[in-house]
Amino acid sequence: MFKFIKQYAEKIEHAQVYPMISLVIFFLFFVVLLYYVKKMDKQSIATLSNIPLDDKDESTITNL
Amino acid sequence: MQVEKFNYDNRIVRNFAYATMIWGAVGMLAGLWVALQLVFPAMNITQYGSFGRLRPLHTNAVIFAFVGNGIFMGVYYSLQRLCKARMFSDALSKIHFWGWQLIIVAAAITLPLGLSQGAEYAELIWPIDLAITVIWVLFGWNMFGTIIKRREKHLYVAIWFYIATFVTVAVLHLVRSGELPYSWLKSYSFYAGVQDALVQWWYGHNAVAFFLTTPYLGLMYYFMPKAANRPVYSYRLSIIHFWALIFLYIWAGPHHLLYTALPNWAQSLGVVFSVMLIFPSWGGMINGLLTLRGAWDKVRDDVILKFMVVAVTAYGMATFEGPMLSLKNVSAISHYTDWIVAHVHVGALGWNGMLTFGILYWMMPRIFGTTLYSKKLANNHFWLGTLGIVFYAVPMYWAGFTQSSMWKQFTESGQLKYTFLETVTYMKPFYAMRSLGGTLYLVGVLIMLYNIYKTVKSGKLIADEPAEAAALAKDSGRHTGEHWHRWIERKPVQLMILSLVVVLIGGIIEIVPTFMIKSNVPTISSVKPYTPLELQGRDIYVREGCYTCHSQMIRPFRSETERYGEYSKAGEFVYDHPFQWGSKRTGPDLAREGAGNLKKSNGWHFRHFREPSSMSEGSIMPPYPIFLEQEIDTSETAAKIRAMQTLGVPYEKGFDKIANINLMQQANSIVESLKTDSIRIGPNKEVIAVIAYLQRMGTDISKTNN
Repeated sequence: MFKFIKQYAEKIEHAQVYPMISLVIFFLFFVVLLYYVKKMDKQSIATLSNIPLDDKDESTITNL
Repeated sequence: MQVEKFNYDNRIVRNFAYATMIWGAVGMLAGLWVALQLVFPAMNITQYGSFGRLRPLHTNAVIFAFVGNGIFMGVYYSLQRLCKARMFSDALSKIHFWGWQLIIVAAAITLPLGLSQGAEYAELIWPIDLAITVIWVLFGWNMFGTIIKRREKHLYVAIWFYIATFVTVAVLHLVRSGELPYSWLKSYSFYAGVQDALVQWWYGHNAVAFFLTTPYLGLMYYFMPKAANRPVYSYRLSIIHFWALIFLYIWAGPHHLLYTALPNWAQSLGVVFSVMLIFPSWGGMINGLLTLRGAWDKVRDDVILKFMVVAVTAYGMATFEGPMLSLKNVSAISHYTDWIVAHVHVGALGWNGMLTFGILYWMMPRIFGTTLYSKKLANNHFWLGTLGIVFYAVPMYWAGFTQSSMWKQFTESGQLKYTFLETVTYMKPFYAMRSLGGTLYLVGVLIMLYNIYKTVKSGKLIADEPAEAAALAKDSGRHTGEHWHRWIERKPVQLMILSLVVVLIGGIIEIVPTFMIKSNVPTISSVKPYTPLELQGRDIYVREGCYTCHSQMIRPFRSETERYGEYSKAGEFVYDHPFQWGSKRTGPDLAREGAGNLKKSNGWHFRHFREPSSMSEGSIMPPYPIFLEQEIDTSETAAKIRAMQTLGVPYEKGFDKIANINLMQQANSIVESLKTDSIRIGPNKEVIAVIAYLQRMGTDISKTNN
């Protein structure tokens, strides 16, 4: 079964460019991600990070 | 908007919590047992209790039973609350729970029976692999069902980690389980030699990453803010942490194979990405620790926070050490030694263990509507656990450095200073001290079991915890002016696909080139397939888990070529389904056991298997008298040869039919040679096959040299 995969893999043309393309994609991805994270507004960050704490029933229980 | 009333399912959480605690104790007990076997070889009781079979039982139990159930416990608790919804299907939850426990029981039965695929952390046989696939898919179905019917618009960062875990573990498991069954219980890996090694450590390292790390980071991002009652330090950092971690981790596997016969480019790739991993890892650790900003005084009194702080600190230490160990010059010293054992235990005992305990102490009283039975006992557990880790890790680090320097030391006249056996017996005190650390840690866990038992008795399970939340307004897609990442944060399926793409690109780039470029594995014309008898012997070697102590990979260092002979070449392993390079040298390397200076007589091997210490005084290897009693299973020979042919091993057509004749001829010649050593034994005993295999090791290459 493994031979079948190998057979086709060998036939991919110009396969050398794939690693380079993926490196560029990911570099750009992280640049955009960093830019986005920097631009996030404080209000929405506060909302998002409070999701786990937004649970009134439990915060009243003190067990220790 | 209308407020809906619903219930959280706490019963499933409780079940997973019980399973976590029970399997945790079992897995750690197995660990303590195998640790003691290295000090007292007499503890290798019967073939079912030998080190080579129990060590996989320990690793599998701790990873998949203890941490696995811990993941499900935490996910089922936090996911419901983060989504403000009950789990998608109670039936799926139940099937998932019982299915996973059955898999664990199946593993606990098959591993001592010697049913193993011989790949670390992927030892389980193919029918169990299939069951894992089914149960994992059901878990994903249940998780996505819950996410889709959620009442909270945004997916909190913990859920991203759960999704990435689900996707990646699925991919890892499927690729690693590429195997060709030749009977109802047994199979051969699709991959051979270097490729199998690459697949194995791509899997092995990412099992650490996506089973022991990402799900637990998700749990940290939920339970730490809960326990400290304040939000995570930086949500921004958590976004970067997430993407950087899943992107980088997937490439890091080859750092397990530095200086081996793996192509150099793959080794370098592994090193570079491993070093980069320090950034997201420490980003996560800092994010966890700084969540306690302004609340450090609480850590003094709150035992739960104590557990969590030690867990996150251990995570930080292990993820600093990891990239350092990935440097080639450090790996040259650390690889094959007990240093690695110390490293993984800082992660397992510190990060996974302590975080699990913290979560249990926080969560169990809550789902039982009571308070913790004894804060004092929990404190005792904390100190026993922390000291246990120190007493475990320090002797192992010491042992690792000592071992490595002893292996590499030369006398002034240029001879190796120590025999391998001397380095083994020198380790015994360290192994004994390590067992003490493990005992302390286990005692702590037993105290926790008692404490939780009393807590549970004092309360009553709130099986269906009432909750209410507003229904989610129908989402009309991406809003104008909205950031794309925010859009992804609301869309679980998109997030899953993107994570899958990230992970697949990493995996494909690492693996595909070795399939494509023939020159990556130069063939050596003198390397021939194993004879049927050698193949049978090799399968016994796999069955007994010899790879847990013996490597078959000589690195190109003078200290190794002097000791073991010519360094290993990629082309030597092209017929090894599965590869058996190993990762630890508790015993010596065996790659050239049948060649050069290492070659011993058949009689030596025979006596050594019967009682290792009779040939090597002070040896801690388990005795294998069963090899002298049990018979080679020749009924499977033909099926094995056919399976190998399918996998591309060039046995002649029709060889399967005459394989057993060939086997008996070779066995008889070994029997004859044993007679000259005044040993009388039948040709059908297992010992004959194992001797044939060991005598074959490394001989292909020496043929070319001559």
